[in-house]
Amino acid sequence: MSKGTPYKEALARFQQVHGTAHELPDTSVDVDALLRDHHPDHLGGSIVDLEVGANRGERCHRQLADMLQSNARIDEADLAGAKTVETDVLIIGGGGAGCAAALTAAKEGARVILTTKLRLGDSNTVMAEGGIQASIDKDDTPQIHYDDTLRGGHNLADKDLVAKMVLDGPDVIRWLIKQGMQFDVDEFGDLLTRRAGGTTADRVVYFRDYTGLEMMRVLRESVLNREIEVWHYSPAVELLSDEQGHCAGAVITDLKKRRNVLVKAKSVIMATGGIGRMHLNAFPTSNHFGATGDGLVLTYRLGAQLRDLDSFQYHPSGLAYPHHLAGTLITEGVRSAGAQMINAEGQRFVDELKPRDHVSSAIIRECAEGRGVDAGESGIGIWLDTPGLDLRNPGIINKRFPKLVQLGKKSGIDPAKTPLLIYPTLHYQNGGVVIDENGQTTVPNLYCVGEVSGGLHGKNRMMGNALLEIISFGRRAGHVAAQSGYQRRHNKVSIAHLGPMQRDLTLAKMPMDLQGPMLFPDYAKFDSDAEYEGLRKTRNREEE
Amino acid sequence: MSNTSEELVQLTINGNEITAPSSLSVIQALWHAGYPRVKSVGCLEGVCGSCRVLVRREDDADVSMELGCQTLVENGMQVIFLVFPTPTHHTYQLDEIKNSWDVQAQFHRIFPEAQDCRHCGGCVKTCPKGIDVEHGVRLANKGRFKEAGDLFIECIMCNLCMTACPELISPNHVGLFSRRVTAYFHIRPSNLINRLEALRTDQLQIIK
Ligand SMILES: Cc1cc2nc3c(=O)[nH]c(=O)nc-3n(C[C@H](O)[C@H](O)[C@H](O)COP(=O)(O)OP(=O)(O)OC[C@H]3O[C@@H](n4cnc5c(N)ncnc54)[C@H](O)[C@@H]3O)c2cc1C
Ligand code: SF4
Ligand code: SF4
Ligand code: FES
Repeated sequence: MSKGTPYKEALARFQQVHGTAHELPDTSVDVDALLRDHHPDHLGGSIVDLEVGANRGERCHRQLADMLQSNARIDEADLAGAKTVETDVLIIGGGGAGCAAALTAAKEGARVILTTKLRLGDSNTVMAEGGIQASIDKDDTPQIHYDDTLRGGHNLADKDLVAKMVLDGPDVIRWLIKQGMQFDVDEFGDLLTRRAGGTTADRVVYFRDYTGLEMMRVLRESVLNREIEVWHYSPAVELLSDEQGHCAGAVITDLKKRRNVLVKAKSVIMATGGIGRMHLNAFPTSNHFGATGDGLVLTYRLGAQLRDLDSFQYHPSGLAYPHHLAGTLITEGVRSAGAQMINAEGQRFVDELKPRDHVSSAIIRECAEGRGVDAGESGIGIWLDTPGLDLRNPGIINKRFPKLVQLGKKSGIDPAKTPLLIYPTLHYQNGGVVIDENGQTTVPNLYCVGEVSGGLHGKNRMMGNALLEIISFGRRAGHVAAQSGYQRRHNKVSIAHLGPMQRDLTLAKMPMDLQGPMLFPDYAKFDSDAEYEGLRKTRNREEE
Repeated sequence: MSNTSEELVQLTINGNEITAPSSLSVIQALWHAGYPRVKSVGCLEGVCGSCRVLVRREDDADVSMELGCQTLVENGMQVIFLVFPTPTHHTYQLDEIKNSWDVQAQFHRIFPEAQDCRHCGGCVKTCPKGIDVEHGVRLANKGRFKEAGDLFIECIMCNLCMTACPELISPNHVGLFSRRVTAYFHIRPSNLINRLEALRTDQLQIIK
């Protein structure tokens, strides 16, 4: 990467041009070429072909492929004597998707256990800022929402799924209000809407820049007040299967009691979210601590089909300076409200509201070609012109973006006066587990909802469609799973599906010592934490 | 993660002596020094409330409760991670409240302790978000739920105020109750309702 202008010098230059109107230079770029040359998905050597499993022969990011083709963390010996619990619906993951599924299934009378790796609500959902899409505005329709979503995803999204999601939109908002979630409204009580990158109508409804926080605290309160059993600090480490290879529950590691528990369930709903903490291509991430792609690994082992494993979203506005906050997200809402992006030479270089992959690639291009701002150890970035936004709309930053103001405080920067340095941050997994309109995967009795599933966003997601997806499909899967009257002879439940998987790995000459799912990023040192000794038997035996 | 030119500080976290660059948060410093930390880590961004720590600073007799992902390390600091909080004993469901005239009576039934607030200010002192929690409880007691709820906009449900309250009021749940009843009974956007009606009567379809 060629170095840009040093931070101080670039800031002085920015201040000189501050207040003048910034024209957009020629925007007639070849988008395909821009993505090919600069988007991290196309980084040389980062994509491999999968060698085992349902997606054998298909393209996948190298780091994710390693995990998908890893060995299990447990074996039969770990299950000997483990306690067994039975339920109707087992939900794995305590973000928005898991909660929506749990509330729906419980309301319809199913016995529900929700198990989650961290605490209920420690998730990507609680961090969402910008808002949720729903076609409500008079100039908007579900059809336009549908068209925007498909176009944004490069026409690769699953059309049937998108149609369901956009038609669900308004009712999702009503459902959330009935759970007690607030939205920003105008003086007459109508929902305020704003535009997202790549949309052609004002469609994002929101609560300040705390949409996810407001959603998550309401859903959590709602779940904790229903007849839903919640297990905190209890990651799923393997799925259970029956003789037909259908899903039959999961093995849960209770981190507080430090033991494994078997949960036999009529239906399992996987809602484990994204992969940001895999730090693909060594990018920083906006994601929460538990976003390590566990659901992909577990479902793949049981034979589920995945899709778009070579496509990830790098959000254009991750904080690049100061260093200790690198990767922290600045909501797209700031750009929707009119903030521009300025390179070290004081110029705009891309329409800020183009789809995210386009904008991120343009930022990476500016930096690669020497027009970035060099912040030393922090790396490189370009300016998000928040002072310009505040100049045109006095007071907007304090009023509409309290979280941004907080972030400024932590960085020692007042965003109303000084621009923030930004660079793309690993944000979202566009693909995931293949599902139908009820979240059903290709494995019977196994459902996937939320970020872990794939198909709704093609190869690029628009802001606001993830929060819509988690509630829309969370409710759908919760409903169907609760109805599932599937009767099982519970005694035949096991982890026998690991046998063929391990044989395939051996045949493909895969390293058998790498274990998945990851559960926690390396730097948390879970695998050397003396507290969890007994839970890593397999690995220790091999090391001896 | 380290920056060589940066000032190094010494502190203890959970009894471990640690040296770390001053730009790191308590959690980052623990990892930086090679200690495992899995529990009490969530968003790493100050919005989930799971990283509650007790902090004592050099030359300061006072102990404060803070968020481990938001507190930067300082020389001579002593930090202890707090255990997982016990959940509140209050339970309620919004659909048990018949209508908006009934909210206040239900509030006193669900949160009977709220009226015993002795205005000790313990909750305010402990809140890492600077929320006037005590005033929020006072407003809720008076039935001014919209106003009460608005005070809790930035509440991350870290439960520190609950831990601090001698009357077991669960002030943050009072705040969340206030917010939820406001949405449940009073948010009725006509633009949303019109759109729902159009969908219900099949006026809007998707052509794939
Ligand atoms: C900073 C940020 C801002 C965002 N802003 C927006 C926005 O404005 N609009 C929008 O639409 N989208 C936004 N997104 C995306 C959106 O928030 C997420 O895609 C969505 O919330 C995912 O919900 P989920 O329920 O699928 O996953 P999550 O909310 O991440 O929940 C997954 C849960 O599963 C748990 N889990 C993980 N592994 C295991 C395991 N092995 N066993 C048990 N539990 C496990 C996790 O701990 C977590 O609780 C944003 C994302 C981030 C990170
Ligand atoms: S009000 Fe209570 S729960 Fe909310 S942030 Fe403050 S201390 Fe934490
Ligand atoms: S801590 Fe409890 S008793 Fe004291 S002011 Fe707060 S709510 Fe009232
Ligand atoms: S980790 Fe979420 S608030 Fe600190």
